[in-house]
Formats: sequence, structure tokens, C-alpha cells
Amino acid sequence: MREETVELPELPSLSKLYVTAAAEAARLLISRRDGGRRLPDARHHVAVVRPDLARLTAYQHLLGEPARDVVPAGYLHALAFPVAMSVMAREDFPLPLLGMVHLRNRVEYRDPVAYDDALDITAWAENLAAHRAGTQVEVVAEIAGGGGPVWRGVSSYLAKGAFLPGIDKPGANGAGAQREEFRPPLPTALWRLGVDIGREYAGVSGDFNPIHLSVLSARALGLKRSIAHGMYTASRALAEVGAQKGDSFVWDVSFEAPVFLPAMVSVNIADAVDADGAWERSDFVGWNATAGRRHFVGSVARLS
Amino acid sequence: MPITQPAPVRKAVVVGGNRIPFARANGAYTETSNLDMLTAALDGLVARFGLADERIGEVAAGAVLKHSRDFNLTREAVLGSALSPETPAYDVQQACATGLETVLSLSDKIKLGRIDSAIAGGVDTTSDAPIVVSEGLRRAVLELSRAKTVQQKLKALSRIRPKDLTPVAPGTAEPRTGLSMGEHQALTTKQWGITREAQDELALASHRNLAAAYERGFFDDLLTPYRGLTRDQNLRPDTTPERMASLKPVFGRHLGAEASMTAGNSTPLTDGASAVLLASEDWAAERDLPVLAEIVDGEAAAVDFVHGKDGLLMAPVFAVPRMLARLGLTLEDFDYFEIHEAFAGTVLAALAAWEDEDFCRERLGLDGAFGKVDRAKLNVNGSSLAAGHPFAATGGRIAATLAKQLHERTRAGDLGRPARGLVSVCAAGGMGVVAVLEGR
Repeated sequence: MREETVELPELPSLSKLYVTAAAEAARLLISRRDGGRRLPDARHHVAVVRPDLARLTAYQHLLGEPARDVVPAGYLHALAFPVAMSVMAREDFPLPLLGMVHLRNRVEYRDPVAYDDALDITAWAENLAAHRAGTQVEVVAEIAGGGGPVWRGVSSYLAKGAFLPGIDKPGANGAGAQREEFRPPLPTALWRLGVDIGREYAGVSGDFNPIHLSVLSARALGLKRSIAHGMYTASRALAEVGAQKGDSFVWDVSFEAPVFLPAMVSVNIADAVDADGAWERSDFVGWNATAGRRHFVGSVARLS
Repeated sequence: MPITQPAPVRKAVVVGGNRIPFARANGAYTETSNLDMLTAALDGLVARFGLADERIGEVAAGAVLKHSRDFNLTREAVLGSALSPETPAYDVQQACATGLETVLSLSDKIKLGRIDSAIAGGVDTTSDAPIVVSEGLRRAVLELSRAKTVQQKLKALSRIRPKDLTPVAPGTAEPRTGLSMGEHQALTTKQWGITREAQDELALASHRNLAAAYERGFFDDLLTPYRGLTRDQNLRPDTTPERMASLKPVFGRHLGAEASMTAGNSTPLTDGASAVLLASEDWAAERDLPVLAEIVDGEAAAVDFVHGKDGLLMAPVFAVPRMLARLGLTLEDFDYFEIHEAFAGTVLAALAAWEDEDFCRERLGLDGAFGKVDRAKLNVNGSSLAAGHPFAATGGRIAATLAKQLHERTRAGDLGRPARGLVSVCAAGGMGVVAVLEGR
């Protein structure tokens, strides 16, 4: 199989992608039943992207990151997201884009990116796999600076209820294994999230998915209320790990129960040090104290 | 030839203090401002020590909840007081440690010979708290002020949304954790296994001791009545163990049956102001003023509370051993302990930590337990649980109260040496400031 690289002239518009996705969703139901069961081999690439300083500052303020000239790892995710989305919005992408659930996000931040660095973004999809609730896929985005790759993010998404022919459902020992019961630790922080937080994060990240914007837009897509962006919660946890993490690290988060807005999220961040007392990793978890349900769990660890 | 520096280090002493009675929030001082109350505390001090028209070396005070228009709060209070208008002043803000920090930094200036006299103090109001506009409105107004054309101005105005018009009151949550101080303390209280009974007992002792001090006239020369108050409004001389035990937990309710912090064993929001007159020995002697105590030493500390390594209010636990090591003293060498009662649990957790061998070895780097605080020497004239805690005013209340107590005990002569006192004040942001005073 030959790999194709699609050169995009500029960062795709996410709002257009969402509109296309809505139309695609309807069309896919009809036409793609027996068609694509393979991921496109294409890599989408945009050259010379520069972070926008005003939006970066607004992002840093919203997430509680110090407004340094180094770009936070979560902002780079937001920067690469339209390229990743354009892969998922391709006609030959086998899963419907709308309604995809973000399961997990893993980022390696290798070298600090300054806000005025010229960046090069490439995204592709891989590892189409069965999940007990549908089909999951990994979308990889890579950001390179002048000296090579600096950031790499792998986002796992689940297309709920989409079972593709030729991809077996996982067996009893597979991904369908029961989750262990969650026992909340003592909180180290409490987040009071208003309904506005979805719109505010959309404003700084560019991710205007309607499920995050308002009660009405979320209802239109079948949710009872709007939900916080998973990446907002993950990026805020990353910010709250603090300066000890340095400029290069691995940041991993799994998303569980959605955060319906407004919300009070209890958060625990636990630091671990190595034998010399130097920071090694911080594990974080967020949950709803009333329901005892976990929203997200993850870690930030020293890049080995 | 290098400049010859003037004086070597000399002593800084406490001449006396004055405060207004502390009022419960939305109580007797509802209509008075920080400036009003600080001026009242200064004027009482001026009257007590004949300082009218006196040019004091420097006045330092502060408020934790301070409006931006009060950028020179202390200087404005000086200008409104009977002190000489040629008295310089500056504001300090170190959360609840503000008052004690002004005492220490001013006494350092006296010790170095830079000034001969000083007034340290603090004030806070939760009734007249500053209210700010929302971020959205603030940004729009700033953009408007930068706009040059009508079009730009209209664009700036168009950014204002109805919700931006809602004002924002100051919160009590720690900025980095979103947890209120009480919720933080609830975690520390649980961590150190402090019982509800122990907390209630400490709160009762605070009310009992403060009431007894008022009864014997101890506060007669430490306090000036204000707005109809002659005693602290929060004081409940007749409160009982039963009444204390009947209160429901207000913090740490997620801990269920382990929740132990109530409105009775936590300090209430309070309004008030305090001032302390500090001087060199010569300055006091020239004016025939009393000398109550000497400010011997002080220390500040901070803990890494953000991810719960230590409790938010545990910094004094680290500050005291560092300071005492420098002075060659142990807890057993003290006759009085003034440990600010932010919450009963804060005091009890500090005492428990100092008695814990493992903690003292591992975290304080000591050979074993730091020591035990004799409860009969603790907050003998009551503390914040009974008196209330107008944040920045607490340090001045404690410094003046302890100085007088040390003076009385030293004069009694039964110790065969000057009486010694230890002050410990915890503060938001995981900070703490502590001090040692010695009686005269």
C-alpha cells in the first residue's frame, strides 16, 4: 500500500469541518455500510504554522498556565486538532466523525516550543480496532520545529455503535474486561465549572463542537446538557501539576464519565519523586464527589 | 574610605498596643471601612501614649481584603490620625500574617538604627469587602480606554455581555486549589486525627480565657471602644460544652462521620483593626514610656500544600523549629504560647506534629519529637476563636496582648528571669510567620 501525503495550504477551519461532518453523518448512514473498512493511508500535512500570541495568552489564562513564551502541551494539541480532524472528515474515513467519543489522549512533549517557532504539523489515523461498544481508532498528530519532531499526540476515539465488518468484537478477556471500582481519594483541589467553560475553552482552543457550547446545541445532538471538553479537564490538570514537570514530559489521560455543566469536579494530584528526591511523575484523577463517578484519570511523567 | 555605618544592632521593644474590639461580620462595623477602623486604632494608640503630632519613624499596616483605591491605606490612615502628617507609612499584605510581619520588619528597622519608633498594625473588614467587576467588563473597559476611533469604542462596548455586569465578591478559596481554607484544614484535621472533642475543648478554653481576661481588666489599656462595642462581639462567655457539641460540621462534610469542624471551632468572619507601638529603648526612655517586651526574633516559612504534601496552614510547624534552633531554645523554655486559632484543628495539628517523632525526624530533620506545648501556657488570654480574626489585625492583637502578659509575668519575678513568649500565625498560600518575644 502506498502512503499518500496531502498538503493542506493552511490550517483547516474546524467550524467548516463540523458542518461537513454533520452532512457526512447522514450520508454515511446510507452509503458506507459496505464500503470502507480500512483507514485511509493518507497523511495530512500543514507547513509553517505559528501559534497566535493573543489566543495563546487567553489559553494560558483560562487553563491556569503561567503566561510563558513556551507553548503548553495542551495548546499544541489544539493547534494540531484541525489537521487531525481533516483526516477524520475524509470521505474515505470509515467511521462517522460526529458523536465520536474521546477515550484517551497521550502526548509526548519532547522539546519546548516557543510561541514564535514555525511549526510543521502532520496527522494520520491508525490502529482501527474493535471495542466492546463500537470501533476505536487512533489519530496521531506530530509537530516538528526547525530541528525535528518536538511534540507527538495520540488521540483514541470511539465510534459508538459502529461495528465494521471484518473487525471482530473483543473476546471476554479483551477490552471488555470489567473496570475496577473507583474509590475516591481525598481531594487536593476543587473545580467549579460554570456552563460558560465549554464556550470559553472553545474560544481559546478553536474546538467549537456543539456538544460543548450550550445546553441547546448539546440537546440537538442528544445530550441532556452541554459537557466540558475532555481536553479542557486534561489540560487544566496538566497546568496544575505545576512547574515541576519541566518542559518535556509524557502526558497521558483517559476520559470516563463526561462532565455535564455546570459541575463541581473534585481533583487529586499526587506527586512521586525518585531516589534522589527529584520529580518523577504526578498522577491525577478527577471525579464527581456526589455520584462517586470518575471523570478522568491520568499522569504526567518525566520523559525517559 | 568606605562609609562608616551608623549604629550596630540594638534592641527593639514593644511600648504598648491598641485595638478596637473585633466585630462579627455585618455587625457593629458594617458601615465602617478599613480606613475608618485603622484610623480609629491609630488614634487610640496616639491618645494612650501621647503621640499627638509626633513624627513616628514609620508606620506599616495592611489589609487582606483591600480595595484598589486603598493603594496607600496606611499612609491615608496616618493622615487621618492625630500623628504628625510627616510620618511616612507603607502597606504590607501577607494574608493573615500581615500584622505579625509588620511587627517584625519594623522592629528590624529599629534594630538596625534606621528608625527609632514605629507603629505596626493591620485591619480587615468582611462586611465592607471590596467588590470588583467581572473579567469581561474589565477587559471591555480597558479596551474602551485604548480605543481611539468611535468605531473602536463601539466595538469595545459591544463585547460587554449581560452576565459581565454581575459584580464579583472576594472568595475564600485558595487560588491554586479552589478549596476554601476550611476545606483545606478539614483535610489536615483528618490527617492528624484531631477529634471533634479536642477541637471543641480548645474553642471553649479560648472563650473562657478571653472572658476572664476582660473580667480582670487585662484589656483596659489594650483596647479602645468603638461604635458602641467595648468587647469582642464574638465572645460567648457563657457558652457550654453541650452547645458547642450541638453544632453541625460546616467544613469537610465529604468526610461524613469524620467531619468535625463547626462554626464553634472555626473562626468567624470578623471586622477590626489593631496597632502596636514599637521603639528603641532610648526613644521610649526619653518619652518616659513603658517597655513591655523585646522583639527577639522572627521567622517566615511556607509549605508545598498545592498537591497536599503538607496542610495549607502547617507552615508555622516548620518555622518555629528553625527559629528556636537559631536561638538555642526548645519549647520547654517558653512561658507563653500564642498560636493563632484560625481553626481549633490548626492549633491541635501543629501540636500533634511537634509531638510526632516520625514527622519531626523525616520532615523537620530533628533527632526526635520537637516537643510538647504545655496547654496551661497556650493562648492564656484567649485567641481568635473567641476574639474573632480580622485577618491583618490579628498579628497586632497577639503581639500587644503577649507583650503585656510577658511584662506582668516578668515583673512578678517568680521566674527569676524574663518571661518568654512564642507567637505563631498561619496564613493563606501555605505560609506562616512566627516570633519570639521576651518580657521586660
